[in-house]
Amino acid sequence: MSPSSVGPPGESPAPGGASPQVATGRRADPRGQDPVTEEVPLTGGTGPSGAAAAHTTAAPRRRIGEYVVAGVTVALGVFVIVDAGTIVVPGSAGTMGPRAFPYLVGGLLLISGVLVLIGLLRGKFGEEDDGEDVDPNVRTDWKTVALLGVIFVAHVYTINLAGWPVAATLLFGGSAIVLGARPWWRAIALAVVLALVIQLVFGGLLGLSLPPGPFLEGVSLFRG
Amino acid sequence: MDNLSALMEGFATVAQPMYLLYALFGVFIGTAVGVLPGIGPAMTIALLLPLTYSLDATAAIIVFAGIYYGGMYGGSTTSILLNTPGESASIVTALEGHKMARLGRGAAALATAAIGSFVAGTIATVLLTLVAPVMAKWAVQLGEPDYFALMIVAFITVGALLGKSVSRGMVALALGLFLGLMGTDTLTGQQRFTFGVPNLADGLSVVIVAVGLFAVGEALYVASRLRHGPVHVIPVEKGWRSWMKPEDWRRSWKPWLRGTAIGFPVGTIPAGGADVATFLSYATERKLAGKHKDQFGKGAIEGVAGPESANNAAASGVLVPLLTLGLPTTATAAIIIVAFQSYGIQPGPMLFQTQSSLVWALIASLYVGNLMLIVLNLPLVGMWVKVLQIPRHYLYAGILLFGALGSYALNFSPIDVLILLVIGVVGFFMRRYGYPVAPMVVGMILGPMAEDRLRRSLTISQGDLSYLVTSPFAATAYVSILVIVGLGLWLKSREKRANAELSRLGEEIREESQSQEVN
Repeated sequence: MSPSSVGPPGESPAPGGASPQVATGRRADPRGQDPVTEEVPLTGGTGPSGAAAAHTTAAPRRRIGEYVVAGVTVALGVFVIVDAGTIVVPGSAGTMGPRAFPYLVGGLLLISGVLVLIGLLRGKFGEEDDGEDVDPNVRTDWKTVALLGVIFVAHVYTINLAGWPVAATLLFGGSAIVLGARPWWRAIALAVVLALVIQLVFGGLLGLSLPPGPFLEGVSLFRG
Repeated sequence: MDNLSALMEGFATVAQPMYLLYALFGVFIGTAVGVLPGIGPAMTIALLLPLTYSLDATAAIIVFAGIYYGGMYGGSTTSILLNTPGESASIVTALEGHKMARLGRGAAALATAAIGSFVAGTIATVLLTLVAPVMAKWAVQLGEPDYFALMIVAFITVGALLGKSVSRGMVALALGLFLGLMGTDTLTGQQRFTFGVPNLADGLSVVIVAVGLFAVGEALYVASRLRHGPVHVIPVEKGWRSWMKPEDWRRSWKPWLRGTAIGFPVGTIPAGGADVATFLSYATERKLAGKHKDQFGKGAIEGVAGPESANNAAASGVLVPLLTLGLPTTATAAIIIVAFQSYGIQPGPMLFQTQSSLVWALIASLYVGNLMLIVLNLPLVGMWVKVLQIPRHYLYAGILLFGALGSYALNFSPIDVLILLVIGVVGFFMRRYGYPVAPMVVGMILGPMAEDRLRRSLTISQGDLSYLVTSPFAATAYVSILVIVGLGLWLKSREKRANAELSRLGEEIREESQSQEVN
């Protein structure tokens, strides 16, 4: 639904615009300052032009990505069909053994993947997801995504090593800093507090056995 | 009237102080999380699943009922006060509600949405109370092939209608079916697609997939294109008097009722969920607006009251096939099924017999939750506004942390968290290239059930495929696929046209204000 209903910021009325609607809006603002007009009129705005631009001028890299995803789907379909043939069918299996449904699923993957590929060849590209916090006018920030992935993996491996609170501090603090939290020490401090509170509530009070780790092992309050 | 007495018993259960507290907790946390931008009802429930791991079944179901309605409710606050539309079902609300807020009528928009949600939620819950037991009684008579037919209907409508592109929806559905295959075949005990990983022998947990797709995938996607800078929330005037003027009441009550009348039936059929209902209600209100017609696109209160009621009524309607047939028709419903299953409860026609007290406690808590929401939320708007302003880096870091906690707490195995990340990356690419994630979750849950029904049908018929289509119900179901999909796609195309029109309207308004600026 109106996927790119967000216009380029340049088109927005400048701060302090003087339309009558705006005047009402400002009067209603209890804080007085920060006029309502300062925000880009995002809802329902711009539609056609913005949407068209986003699609026709899709970067070539994005298009390659589309083909790769559709290709992977087709490949997965083929794999499912081939691998289904290796499922052992015991003599006790009834009329329809354990292979039949996987064949159907593989077939569906294959066919739907091919349909997407045909659509791509005919110029039908996917519409990206929109959301409140998604800025449609920026390029994909691969570095942030990769860093988040690394932090996540590190979180997984620290749970058993250093305990859940440490792993949680790493995940929350690290992600927040990668996403732009400044200063970094405040993010870390918040992460420590949050991790300990969760450990206390879920581990100590609700009885989930989150490993407290070597540092907090002795504190019975934190043990699940 | 034994249903009435059963319902009364349900109320008696919920009225116990402890359970009332759970209900209050559910609606509160559901609204709080639902208000958070970027978190729709499906993700709200997925993220809050671990909260209930240590509760007893009744308490957990009561908390879930609260979270479900609260999450729906929170979404409208977000879309009215934040500058971009979020969760799909409340986008229509965003169009008019946001305009109203910018005109300084945010409080009225919030109030009509809240009261409309309450009216629609209550009426729809009454309808649910009346319809569900009848439906369950009827559903008991259905045979294996009938259920298989119903699931095929759900697959096709969900795949074709829960997204913007039919072929991509089918890909998502097929991926979900594939994930559902993983694990040990229930009938023969053979391992399928486990790749030798012991954690996969019991199959992939739907919780991990749901949290991975909705929470981790979403967080990664938003992170890739995060809107930096301060968050702009439209301020709401304080004081009770400005909420709803007499004229607002006069203009709102009919849309509330009409929205309910549209939302509930649409919710009960597998036709794309609440999106379609809100859009239909919006179109209806616009047509019937009379002298206020020119206000549409500029902040018409009918455009908030109707769709918001339709949204909530549809949310209750979705519970009818969910409770009586075990058929999830939206992503949110699919996650509710997971929540039920984690307590060993299988929604379906037998549920009203085997778990009667639980079901009626659930329905009673829907009434109670609805009441709590309106009492709780109108005065608390100021607090939700604060929640909306939460810095985005902490918000998405928090989503990642709670997602990881939820999947770790399933089995206390770090491997699960790693699988969560893999699913999250898949979700990231799906979002990026326009594949809807909801059909994947539905496919994963319904896939194994459908296979089971199919194999049992064929065992009964000794391999005769015609058995699948010869029962009158199954035959009707297969024919209705054509009708539902045809109708659904027609509605979608109208929706697109209407949206384009709305965007144009928005453009005009902006140009106007710009030209005035120049003068």
